[in-house]
Amino acid sequence: MNEPAYLAHLMPQTEDSEPFWRACNESRLVLRHCGQCHTVFYYPRRLCPACGSQRLGWHTASGRGTVFSFSEIHVPFAGPDWSSQLPYTVVLVDLEEGPRMLTRLIGDTRAELRIGDALEVCFIEVDQQKLPFFRRVAGH
Amino acid sequence: MPRVSADVVIVGAGETKVGKLPGLESVQLQAWAVERALADCGLKTTDVDGLINLDPYSIPNSMFASTVAEYLGLKTRFQSTVDVGGTVTGMTMLQQAVWAIESGYCEIAACVYGENSLTGRPADATGLQMRNLLGGEEWEEPFGVHGMVTPYALLAQRYLHLYDASTADLGEVAVLTRQHALNNDNAQMKKPMTLADHQASRMISSPLRLFDCSLISDGGGAMILMSRDRARHLGLPYVHIRSMAMRGTHNTVAQNPDIEALGMADAGRDAFEAAGLGAADMQVALLHDAFTISVLITLEALGFCAPGGAGAYLRTGAAGMDGACPLNPHGGLLSQAHIGGMLHLTEAVHQLRGTAGRRQVPNARRAVVSGNGGVFSVCGVMVMEAA
Repeated sequence: MNEPAYLAHLMPQTEDSEPFWRACNESRLVLRHCGQCHTVFYYPRRLCPACGSQRLGWHTASGRGTVFSFSEIHVPFAGPDWSSQLPYTVVLVDLEEGPRMLTRLIGDTRAELRIGDALEVCFIEVDQQKLPFFRRVAGH
Repeated sequence: MPRVSADVVIVGAGETKVGKLPGLESVQLQAWAVERALADCGLKTTDVDGLINLDPYSIPNSMFASTVAEYLGLKTRFQSTVDVGGTVTGMTMLQQAVWAIESGYCEIAACVYGENSLTGRPADATGLQMRNLLGGEEWEEPFGVHGMVTPYALLAQRYLHLYDASTADLGEVAVLTRQHALNNDNAQMKKPMTLADHQASRMISSPLRLFDCSLISDGGGAMILMSRDRARHLGLPYVHIRSMAMRGTHNTVAQNPDIEALGMADAGRDAFEAAGLGAADMQVALLHDAFTISVLITLEALGFCAPGGAGAYLRTGAAGMDGACPLNPHGGLLSQAHIGGMLHLTEAVHQLRGTAGRRQVPNARRAVVSGNGGVFSVCGVMVMEAA
């Protein structure tokens, strides 16, 4: 099956987020890591939300996680051109490294999705930006 | 425990009509609401020297207290525009009014919110296409999340999973509050709803259907506060604010604590403890109901029932008009109108003064009002009591 034409409304990047989106373009999911308290967090910020430290590094995530919650969207909230995407599924994924991430679920087995299912990252390019969408791990 | 001064009281509450009100911008709606609240307590605009409001969400404005004050001809000694989120904004307006009056910054304060969310939207808009941002867009928009329904749907899906609950539990909230709205002449929804109607309404963002979502409304609500001494001197009936507490834990849905760790339980515990009261002491509950799921979570967080037990609690009839603690007698955001929760607060005043007409809860002495903004990002609880 051909990949459908995904739509994505890209937002302006910031000093905080530019390395994240650049890594996505290299098909890597990166997370901020705190050198002080070792918290791994998402989304990237200029300080650690757990301890306030600015000793931050980047950590390449495994790209694996499990479903915390999900929703199948039936209304083109983002505008009439989104009708082509309906219905589509968004998920809250608990990443292996700890942080929770909101993303879009793709793949043929969307309809069977359950909370707790294993997912893996899958980079999809839209408007010259690769986006970290997720899909169900085969066999789960 | 955070305390609210007993020396400042609410003497007036007023609402505009609600629904589709073409030809009125937010400034006119807020002025109309203030006019109604002043008429309610027999005061004039020239008596008011404090104004606290919220600017419209659909078309954000700057310095909106100044806009409304000028329209009304007010000369103020205290004014402010506050935006905390949901009904917590209205509670914070009341809190600021209490602080301003007890500290001598002003004597009579009006708290008001209103906007033309329904008729003021662009004609081609789908859903509530707000032109102001809520934060976190960079991490939501690329993945197809836009607006507030999906974040609440994610919360609802989690709830159903954790407690093995069903969408019929969500439906109980919609059906009950619709039934209540039918007692309110100033409600947008006029037709009865059955559980089957709820279950057959179209899917918006699973598991939330159309009838799980609040209305989009034009309208406004306002309250007037002054010192208790002055209210007594003028012979005005009044309502006490016994306590108010809030929690801010996050902003966007990906940062949500899991359901039982949301800020509502802590805010409720603080508010009840500060008032020396509990859920069992309330005769009316005005719970922020932007979505049906919000009410299930709030009933549990405030101790009306155990986690996961809200559907069963509603089926006992406890939240009906003949129950121990009627829920949203005015119909709430789901079936009266969505005026940011201001009408939950004005309804509390009406109920506690015994001026709620056909929808009056007999012997209502104490009310709990809850609010949440964002996706339970900020949670607030206020306890009010009849004089």
